[in-house]
Amino acid sequence: MATPVIMPRQGNTVESCILTEWFVKKGDKVKEGDLLFSYETDKAAFEEESKVSGTVLEIFFNEGDDIPVLTNVCVIGEEGEDITPFIPGGAPVQKTEEPEKAREQAAAEMPADEAKVSGETKPQIKTGEVFISPRAKNLAEKIGADIRFATPTGPDGRIIERDIRKLQQEGHLVTAAAKEAYSGMEQQLQGSGLGGRVTTSDLGRPAAAVEPSGKAEPVPESGTVSEAEYEDVKLSNIRRVIAKTMHESLSQMAQLTLNTSFDATEILDFRRKLKANAEKMGLANITINDILLYAVSRILPKHKALNAHFMGDSIRYFKNVHLGVAVDTERGLMVPTLFNANLKSLNQIAAETKELAKECQKGTINPDSLKGGTFTVTNLGALGIESFTPVINPPQTAILGVNTTEQKFREKDGVIEPYMSMSLSLTFDHRAVDGAPAARFLKDLKEALENFTVLLSL
Amino acid sequence: MPKSQYVDPVEVRKKGKITFKDIPVNQYDKTIEDEKENFSNEDFLRIYRDMAIIREFEKMMNLIKTTGEYNGVPYNHPGPAHLSIGQEAAAVGQAYLLDTDDFIFGSHRSHGEILAKGLSAIQKLPDEELMKIMKEFRDGIILKIVEKYGQAETVKELAIDFLVYGAMAEIFARETGFQAGLGGSMHAFFTPFGIYPNNAIVGGSADIAVGAALYKKVNRKKGIVIANIGDGALGCGPVWEALCLAAMDQYKKLWEGEHKGGLPFILNVFNNHYGMGGQTRGETMGYDMLARIGAGVNPEQMHAERIDGYNPLAVIDAIRRKKKILLEDKDGPVLLDTVTYRYSGHSPSDASSYRTKEEVDSWMAHDPLITFRKQLTDASVASDETFDGILDYARNLITRILKISIDDSVSPRMDLIKDPQAISRLMFSNQRIEKMDDRECEVLMPKEENPQWQRVQKKERFGLGKDGKPVSKNKAYQLRDGLFEALIDKFYTDPTLIAYGEENRDWGGAFAVYRGLTESLPYHRLFNSPISEGAIVGSAVGYALCGGRVVVELMYADFLGRAGDEVFNQLSKWQAMSAGQLKMPVVLRISVGSKYGAQHSQDWTSIVAHIPGLKCVFPATPYDAKGLLNSALSGTDPVVFFESQRIYDIGEMFHEGGVPEGYYEIPIGEPDIKKEGKDITILTIGATLYRALEAAKILEEKYGLSAEIIDARSIVPFNYEKVIESVKKTGRILLASDACERGSHLKDMAQTISELAFDYLDAPPVVVGSRNWITPAHELEQFFFPQPEWMIDAIHEKILPLPGHVPATNFTKQEMIRINKFGV
Repeated sequence: MATPVIMPRQGNTVESCILTEWFVKKGDKVKEGDLLFSYETDKAAFEEESKVSGTVLEIFFNEGDDIPVLTNVCVIGEEGEDITPFIPGGAPVQKTEEPEKAREQAAAEMPADEAKVSGETKPQIKTGEVFISPRAKNLAEKIGADIRFATPTGPDGRIIERDIRKLQQEGHLVTAAAKEAYSGMEQQLQGSGLGGRVTTSDLGRPAAAVEPSGKAEPVPESGTVSEAEYEDVKLSNIRRVIAKTMHESLSQMAQLTLNTSFDATEILDFRRKLKANAEKMGLANITINDILLYAVSRILPKHKALNAHFMGDSIRYFKNVHLGVAVDTERGLMVPTLFNANLKSLNQIAAETKELAKECQKGTINPDSLKGGTFTVTNLGALGIESFTPVINPPQTAILGVNTTEQKFREKDGVIEPYMSMSLSLTFDHRAVDGAPAARFLKDLKEALENFTVLLSL
Repeated sequence: MPKSQYVDPVEVRKKGKITFKDIPVNQYDKTIEDEKENFSNEDFLRIYRDMAIIREFEKMMNLIKTTGEYNGVPYNHPGPAHLSIGQEAAAVGQAYLLDTDDFIFGSHRSHGEILAKGLSAIQKLPDEELMKIMKEFRDGIILKIVEKYGQAETVKELAIDFLVYGAMAEIFARETGFQAGLGGSMHAFFTPFGIYPNNAIVGGSADIAVGAALYKKVNRKKGIVIANIGDGALGCGPVWEALCLAAMDQYKKLWEGEHKGGLPFILNVFNNHYGMGGQTRGETMGYDMLARIGAGVNPEQMHAERIDGYNPLAVIDAIRRKKKILLEDKDGPVLLDTVTYRYSGHSPSDASSYRTKEEVDSWMAHDPLITFRKQLTDASVASDETFDGILDYARNLITRILKISIDDSVSPRMDLIKDPQAISRLMFSNQRIEKMDDRECEVLMPKEENPQWQRVQKKERFGLGKDGKPVSKNKAYQLRDGLFEALIDKFYTDPTLIAYGEENRDWGGAFAVYRGLTESLPYHRLFNSPISEGAIVGSAVGYALCGGRVVVELMYADFLGRAGDEVFNQLSKWQAMSAGQLKMPVVLRISVGSKYGAQHSQDWTSIVAHIPGLKCVFPATPYDAKGLLNSALSGTDPVVFFESQRIYDIGEMFHEGGVPEGYYEIPIGEPDIKKEGKDITILTIGATLYRALEAAKILEEKYGLSAEIIDARSIVPFNYEKVIESVKKTGRILLASDACERGSHLKDMAQTISELAFDYLDAPPVVVGSRNWITPAHELEQFFFPQPEWMIDAIHEKILPLPGHVPATNFTKQEMIRINKFGV
């Protein structure tokens, strides 16, 4: 019996993944454990191993395809076995057909869906046949544009390329998984998925704040989600997301950075004690960074403007602290979220942060763990950085950069004495927070760190 | 219009009369006894043998066609068989004195001529040379067969098997035939024996053979050229044109040195009295006796005479005398009215309802196979048994060769399943040969001293000044200068290159492209022709297939119809019909006019593009004109070279650095992006390029759209890759040229683009052409030829509605239906 290989569901909010590379082709023999293909979401990259041995009987998708999760991607079995039952969508293709053919078949089913959609009376939606140019249709398929909202401007009421481009700009995009359900809806939704696509999770939300994107919520500006971005296989999805997010962050926010330093003597002493006793007390390896995370998680609730999301015309303040922790990986910068950090012990924080970082390095991180941060801590201290301007991860309002420790001197009671100092760089969004409140946060944080054992006892 | 010859009104207006010499009619009256001093008994018998072989060959063809069997061998031949039973004496008599340097061109009814000329050549060639020819011809493919399956004991017997087999296998469309089966009954030939292409178009060989004679004369080659046509062909315009071109005064009056003198050309009419079913004498023509026509052609009356084609010795006698006139007296051309008769119909489907049985019977009583035999037995040349033996020999020969010709294992057909490209490979020879001969070029001065060449060197080679504005027409290096440079360069490189047409010499061509060439070239390399478009092109075909390179000109595309057969059936077909044995290095320059109304303004590139076997280019810039003409002049294929009269004076606006001074080639078949853009592609042919650029400017300035302009440059062949790449980018394409919209080649291109880039198209490809009307007067041309505004309108209506645009012309679907419905 042939075995279908599905596109795995990497996290509850992931609806589709992009197949990045095939390692096998139709007709290849594979053993259990052989790599079949790689794929990625907008946040992480994965590789799929074969769970059975056999021959690759059919491949349904090409590299670069955006594939709904749980969809059959290929079939492995004995030569001559019938693969028909596994064809995505159950399209009656012949066994000998190439993947392209299968795709065309799938595409050919599209008009039927559309016809069904257009049969219902809805605002903006044409009744009767939809006339659309091949180019426009292909583009719509590719970017996931919802052609029901297109205003045809071509000859004889034909939807042409520019009409789809307009949809893209306006954010009328939908994932393959959400398409069917969404096509039955009357309202337009703000997409929260890849490239601003409407996802199934969006379908449950009320149709509030239907505004051209970029205003209501800082979702990625779709105008820059160019077609080329998805075609350019050289740029990994992660890199792309970083590039976009960082650029948008700098271009759309009013960011500025405050620098300060504190006497690190106490936390360094404390860390030494921990290190000496960690094993026998069953503690995790608690690092200076963990200590900083702990301090931030405890101070932030008093400075709610920095534990918030800036939403354009509103600010969302969070009750709990979900700390984004920047992790440097081979694939690029990843920021997993340590949820409810303010409710966790130092030991818990240390253990969980380590686990998250490990998963990021391996690329097995659950995409759900890469979302939802309310404030981010990034640490370049280990690399000897003395001061920098971290870039805010939107829609957060601030990010704390942790620098290296260095020996400083101060005068105390007429004596010049050396001490270990550590500096902090806080970047904040001036749209959401003013300078003085941000400085006050830093001051509180500095005091807490200089008196860390007191903080622990709170 | 040479200035050296004064048209004197006193002379021209003088009273007088034209007198004619007598035209001889069947004056030969020698007996066998008289001829014994010229012929041995063996010669007489060989003449008889050759006639017998032809008779048996044609009899076999007739029986195969009418009964499906010959001498117990069944076969079905669905192809043509225009037989010459009854005409053997004329063919054998003509061939008797000809050697391999003497070329014959024939008609649809030329099996007999092929065999006669071949048998004559075999008799004359030494054995070693015969073997060499047979070994080298198509790598010995035919020789191997006749060696394996034949019974020849001598080289000459082997060569006879070779000749009969090559012709028969060709007629039966076998890959082992002379032309690999691609010529067939009406086109077979074998140049090593001086047998040049026969022609299925009535009279088709006349002007081609004149071109071959021209080749011999210009290139000082030995021998004469005979065009064998039927009496029916005398009604064909191109045959008259061939006579005019063959009899031009200039050969004797203006050509110089060794080249002075008439063409070594005989127009021989095998006068069998019928043009299909029409009786030429008494019904369809008015000449009474065909030889009379010579008197209307030139003062020498073409040395015309009627000879008795039913007496081989009379024909031999005539050829002996005419050869002397052509080669020693240099007083050609010659017209022969060779009287003969075919017993078989025009073709096997002809029931001969137009003639009586008595007529056929009475000619059969004169049958040379009977009468000549009787004369020879009477003169004791040989006994009856000898003649019976010859007839047996012929029957045996034909039966034997028939068996191997129709045996699929010996004589297979071209395998188009195994090799689907076998014919397509032969459509063009695609060679690059710098010069067709190595000898010195005959010129009158070094190229650098040519005054026109010097003038051109002083011109501005880039047409735009530093301010981006066009430089003055007088200073600019124009499109015509690009053509001139390519031509003069080749005249100094290839000694065989000649150019002719109407007004080519002193006038410099109607559009001054040849201006200045007269100073450099002797008459025989650049000359004026009669207003005979058919013969101009037809003779170029003959000149080229003999091994020369030639540029001929049709002043206006509208005159293409006058050369229809020569362009569409001859120029285009002979490379493939010869299975690649012939090359066709002909450049046919055709100018596309404007301003002169309905018969002088048509762009007929589409008609040319439709015909397989022609390359077709239409440059629109000086850089492209020079580069493409260089390519055309260095290739071996026929190139129809279109030029637009609208832009002969245009400067180079695209190629950075201007038109290079040195030699360069632009490959035929590659379009060129003249302006890059991203929103819409506009593909143009010819001068419409400049209107498309204007349209692009409007699109840019008024509608913010950037158009990519591609100049097709070539029409056949055409590499679509660049266009498809562009369409993938822009998603839209408009195609425009000056050709009338209906049936325009652009429609073909649009269709091809639709198939190749369907998924990338945002709208169907749209063609903007001229109206399907007559071209009106110049003052109204803006309503006929595509204008930039039309292109904008078509884009707005059919491709991409432009906000705020108000169309001035009607490109709606209703209008499309209407113009097609009414055919306008």
